[in-house]
Amino acid sequence: MKPPMKRKRTFQRRKVCVFCADSALKIDYKDVKTLNHFITERGKILPRRISGNCAKHQRDVNLAIKRARNIALMPFTVVGS
Amino acid sequence: MRRYETIFITHPELPEEDQATLQEKVRTIMAGWKGELLKIEDWGPKKLSYQIRKNARGRYFLVDYLTEAPALVRELERTLRLNDGVLKFLTVKTTERLAAEQIQALKEAAEAAKTLPVEERPAPAPAQAPPAPEEPAKTDEGGEKK
Repeated sequence: MKPPMKRKRTFQRRKVCVFCADSALKIDYKDVKTLNHFITERGKILPRRISGNCAKHQRDVNLAIKRARNIALMPFTVVGS
Repeated sequence: MRRYETIFITHPELPEEDQATLQEKVRTIMAGWKGELLKIEDWGPKKLSYQIRKNARGRYFLVDYLTEAPALVRELERTLRLNDGVLKFLTVKTTERLAAEQIQALKEAAEAAKTLPVEERPAPAPAQAPPAPEEPAKTDEGGEKK
């Protein structure tokens, strides 16, 4: 007897990344408001599979966040209380 | 020509005249190395995301400039490093190569901004609508909180 088929997890995947969808949106390390969407509450950078960014823009976001961290615009870590 | 921008954070309690001297120094370096200063922006005291030399706050300055000489950047950074009032700085090259007409346009824009009184200058940070919030984030993120 065949084991029951594993149900495939169905979820809606975002098709395009926000930066590809809206070319007016620039990735800038000084623009903390936008970059805040791509970090967790602890300050870690969100992976691509969650943020839905394309590879190119994820790289840019990565760099921007790291620059922002360097100049203390963004935290390296947020320690929970 | 390359376009750079340097952000530096000064001590929040540094007296006003020292802040001014520092800006003056930046201008002198620009003039001395044939750099084209586009703007110096004062963001004012801001809360730092982490403490730097025990300071929770710092005053941000943004310098935007064009130059041919990498030596200018080196000199600028050296000056900032030697100044005790400067907590941290970061230089980023924003454009590698600029066409002559682009340089001209930038210079003119900078010139125009100078003549305007401070209040009428366009807001430096464009208030763009943030991208759509990351809905899927909620699913995988649960275990990480707390």
